[in-house]
Amino acid sequence: MISTASYFWMIPLLPLFAAGLSAVLPRTARRASAALAIGSMGLAFVLSVSAFIGTLAGHGSEHGARSVVNFDWFHLGTGVVRLGVLLDPLAAVMLVMVSFVGLLIFIFSVGYMEHDANGGRFFCFLSLFAAAMLGLTISNSLILLFACWEGMGVASYLLIGFWFHKPAAAAAAKKAFVVTRIGDIGLFLGLLWLYGEAGSLLLFDAGRGCLEPGALALVTTTKVGSSLTAAAGIGLLLFVGAVGKSGQLPLHVWLPDAMEGPTPVSALIHAATMVAAGVFLVARVFPLMAGGDGVTVGSGTSGVLQVIAWVGASTAVFAALIAVGQNDIKRILAYSTVSQLGYMFLGLATGGVAVGMFHLITHAFFKALLFLGSGSVIHGCHEEQDIRRMGGLRRWMPVTFAAYAVGMMALAGVPLVFSGFWSKDEILHSAWLWEPSRWPFVMGVLGAFLTAFYMTRQVAEVFFGEYRGATGRVAHAAADKGHRQKSHHPVQAAHGDGVHESPWVMTGPLILLGVFAVLLGVIGTPAWPWFEAYLGGHEAVFDLGRLSHAAPVMIVSAVVVAAGMGLGWMLYGKRPRTSPESPDVLEPVLGGFHRALARRLYVDELYDVTVVAGHRLLSRLANWMDLLFIGGVVVLVGWVSNAAAYVMRWADELFVNAGFDAGCGTVGWLGRRVSKLQGGRARGYLAGMALGVVALGAWVLWGMNVG
Amino acid sequence: MVVNYAQLAWLASAEVLLVITALAVLAVDLKLRSSATPERRRSVALGLGATGCALGIVWLLVAAPDGSAPGGMLVSDALTRLVKVILLALTVGTLGLSGRSTFTPHVGEYVAVILLGGVGMMLIAGTENVLMMFLALELASLSLYILAGFAKRDPRSMEAALKYFLFGGMAAAFLLFGLSFVYGVSGSIEFRGMGAGLAGQKMIPLLLVGLVMVLVGLGFKVAAVPFHFWAPDAYEGAPTPVAAFIAAGSKVAAFFLVAKLSLLAFAQVGGSAAWGAFVPGWTPLVAVVAAASMLVGNFAALAQRNVKRLLAYSAVAHAGYALVGVVGAGSGSVATVTFYAATYAVTALGAFGVVGVVEAVAGGSDFSHFAGLSRRSPGLALAFGILVLSLAGIPPLVGFFAKFYVFLGALTPVGGQGPMALLWLVGLGIATTCVSFYYYLRLLKVVFVEDPPADSRTISPGVGEWAVVVVTTVLVVLVGCAPALFLGPLQAALASVGLGR
Repeated sequence: MISTASYFWMIPLLPLFAAGLSAVLPRTARRASAALAIGSMGLAFVLSVSAFIGTLAGHGSEHGARSVVNFDWFHLGTGVVRLGVLLDPLAAVMLVMVSFVGLLIFIFSVGYMEHDANGGRFFCFLSLFAAAMLGLTISNSLILLFACWEGMGVASYLLIGFWFHKPAAAAAAKKAFVVTRIGDIGLFLGLLWLYGEAGSLLLFDAGRGCLEPGALALVTTTKVGSSLTAAAGIGLLLFVGAVGKSGQLPLHVWLPDAMEGPTPVSALIHAATMVAAGVFLVARVFPLMAGGDGVTVGSGTSGVLQVIAWVGASTAVFAALIAVGQNDIKRILAYSTVSQLGYMFLGLATGGVAVGMFHLITHAFFKALLFLGSGSVIHGCHEEQDIRRMGGLRRWMPVTFAAYAVGMMALAGVPLVFSGFWSKDEILHSAWLWEPSRWPFVMGVLGAFLTAFYMTRQVAEVFFGEYRGATGRVAHAAADKGHRQKSHHPVQAAHGDGVHESPWVMTGPLILLGVFAVLLGVIGTPAWPWFEAYLGGHEAVFDLGRLSHAAPVMIVSAVVVAAGMGLGWMLYGKRPRTSPESPDVLEPVLGGFHRALARRLYVDELYDVTVVAGHRLLSRLANWMDLLFIGGVVVLVGWVSNAAAYVMRWADELFVNAGFDAGCGTVGWLGRRVSKLQGGRARGYLAGMALGVVALGAWVLWGMNVG
Repeated sequence: MVVNYAQLAWLASAEVLLVITALAVLAVDLKLRSSATPERRRSVALGLGATGCALGIVWLLVAAPDGSAPGGMLVSDALTRLVKVILLALTVGTLGLSGRSTFTPHVGEYVAVILLGGVGMMLIAGTENVLMMFLALELASLSLYILAGFAKRDPRSMEAALKYFLFGGMAAAFLLFGLSFVYGVSGSIEFRGMGAGLAGQKMIPLLLVGLVMVLVGLGFKVAAVPFHFWAPDAYEGAPTPVAAFIAAGSKVAAFFLVAKLSLLAFAQVGGSAAWGAFVPGWTPLVAVVAAASMLVGNFAALAQRNVKRLLAYSAVAHAGYALVGVVGAGSGSVATVTFYAATYAVTALGAFGVVGVVEAVAGGSDFSHFAGLSRRSPGLALAFGILVLSLAGIPPLVGFFAKFYVFLGALTPVGGQGPMALLWLVGLGIATTCVSFYYYLRLLKVVFVEDPPADSRTISPGVGEWAVVVVTTVLVVLVGCAPALFLGPLQAALASVGLGR
């Protein structure tokens, strides 16, 4: 292993440092914050690549590619809580992906957030997020992983609500936080249970870790009740956490709303990295999920994996269906993300770690590309997000169009050239071979058809036809995004004149991402499954013969994609809509079902009348009880207020009686004293004390390390 | 844990007596409120309170309840009884200084809160359990916050109370947090159990941070740097008898607690404060705080033009000297620290008594109000001179012997530590003492040399004030000349509980 690889533990600390530093920079220091964020991310990327190369060097030998550093966190009584970091192929590949995509998105943000007064804060939050995500990636302790998991949650909350004066953004941030918290409870319970069973939350610890044979044998043989093993219970609870974070059914509702955040945030957090953390978690603890058999393809028969497969497949279809009925460019992509995350879970459950992770990596690139492309479109159209008010943009935004088309074809899975085809094909292939049922395969195919369809629809609406956005655009933009600087291009009534291509800081990352969206497919074709071999720790063998085994599924998937894209083009591309108000072509055909799709199949409404209403009822009840009990206290408070009023009158009379001069003097003096007090003296005292504590603590801790 | 309530009541009988007295004072004052004159109400309340305290002293000396409640919640032995007697005596002194307290018409409540504060301090002295210790500290502190703001018509008093309260609240939070850490490491909430639990414990960051936080809470109570910020404002703003109570009673209780906690609980994680050979732990932390207190207290006092503020900084400096006793002397530290704190408390009580008298007549406590005191009230000036010289540490007054005893303790070889290990701290103490001469003597110059203001009246203290000033002055001279008068009983008590040298 080369020497720089051993510094991989520094990777998350770099953006953390940048976040801390830009937090104390003045709000106006936007450039400094951006430079810090991009610099730290660039350095993190370099370190990640060197770590990745390090794992390549240790490739092939038994556990040779895994390096673990554990350390004591604190002692409590006789127990020790330990944390650790871990570098193995799974972590390395995530490190490279997160830091590279993150770096590109950071650069893109420089252009996108150019007009925002709080840009410095934005980069601070982005860095914080990157630190948490990278930390999660290399955690060797589930506690550390959980801490980073929550750190991402906080950063996500802060960034969704970045434009917090928009009520929708504030509500979306809260919703994301609360809904993912439901999953987090499951995850935390799972962690506690695992700790109780295995006695350690370190993943690898020289034979004592909870993913190593000893502990695995223990948890897979311990029974809870008659049939459920502890491993299954723990696995299900951990999966609940993953469901929350990765927006799977039934906790997917927060993810589309999270699109209220700035578009780079949607690209980084809600498409490429954070939402994939649930997939990563399942991949990380896969031996536990699989019931202890280790990472072997085709072992998808454990109860937990069956659950995961069904949830993933249902989400893939369900979200793809909703995406068909959406008109907001980002919401379509959001539902597409939910759907693709479903594919990843399906891949994990039916085909093992490599299948799910391969789609995670390719998806990260092309979905980040699509989101950034949509950001470029939104930026160019003066904050317009409704695809009905776009059209014909390919003429004014050629680079964005080209990049977006690449992303769209990768997502749709256009055969042979694009990475999305290979990774999705792997999933469909393993779903086909899955023993318990063929239905997940059917659902996957249906989802692939829908994906091709809605992406074609979106591209046709946005980039083809005539521009439809001039009327009422200014008012809309001003009302919707009043906080951002008003459009700096004079908006003219002439069609599309205000639309412009984005600057190179935005198109540059698009092009780079586009290149990778194409090239990445090479590492995971059935003929040369390098990715799987790399994760599995063995050598990849080139064998064209395997292509023929995979051919039937590949042909099915190609036909389905062609059908989806063809139907989409027929309905939306050949006869483009003429005005924003004209109904969708599917409306007459599907009728009520289309309305239901547009309303996201009423899931939010369902939660409103069940969970939220129940909660409200409960809080009303609590409030009522409170009033009842507190009633007496309220009377008492009233009495005390009366007494205080009496005292004040008495004091008043005293001051008045003491004479005008004395009164004035006292009041003036009191004012000076109070103003001193308010001016921070008491605060200064407390700060002095706090400083004393910090100094003493630092001194004695320093002494400990020296002595 | 079986709780025997009869035993608890027996162990806490002196405290119970004081609480009953406080309730009686409230009841009697309520009865008298409409019928009696303010003066009569005041003398009745103060007399009743003082009687209760006196009964408590007699009870402790005669009945001598002995034993300890489960978990070290309440400990009553010769040592705690001695400290409680001192605390009760200081409470009586505080009541004695309140004879002319015209700052409040609610004299019954005032006396009752003083008594409750006294109960809190006695409980601080009489427990070896950190939970009880925290509760007792809170009882004492809350009483003192209320007392500091008792002059409701005086905005300075309100401000003092608010600052004291804000600071105290934060310090209490630190203390509780720190104790929870130490509990986490040691697994016990009893002083001795903590000591046993910490024996052989590796010095880990959690424990060190816990110790620092505990030091914040205790450093606040003893007004040690950098947790002293509240002191000058509180001393200046609070009614003078209350300031005396804060300076005297609460200091004795807190220092006794610090010494006991250091010896029983933290001895095993003491580390070393020896120059050039620091070992992280409790004593180097205390040593740093002590050194900072001596420096800041003495130098800040140089700049003061108000006697109460000057006494506040002087108190900060004295806290530093007393903490030197905690750092050094090993098992002898309880003796040196208790001796230092008790004698300082007596001296400060007397000095505040004089300040209170001057303030009541001259209308303030600036240096100018003290000008020519020797000509306006020779007896008072003489007593003040003796008390201030004792604070400065001039032989043969008790302040000298107390410092000497502390420094001697610090230079005594303890457990593998050479006699010169703490020379840096002692040297600093002696050097800052020299600094302190300057401001103490300048104060005396104002009193004895400067001319009184032209329109000044003669100053004549009331009976209670005279009694307090005279008794404290006599004690300062007497114990200074014959330290064994106090040191004898103290060491006997220490020996009887196994904490002697």
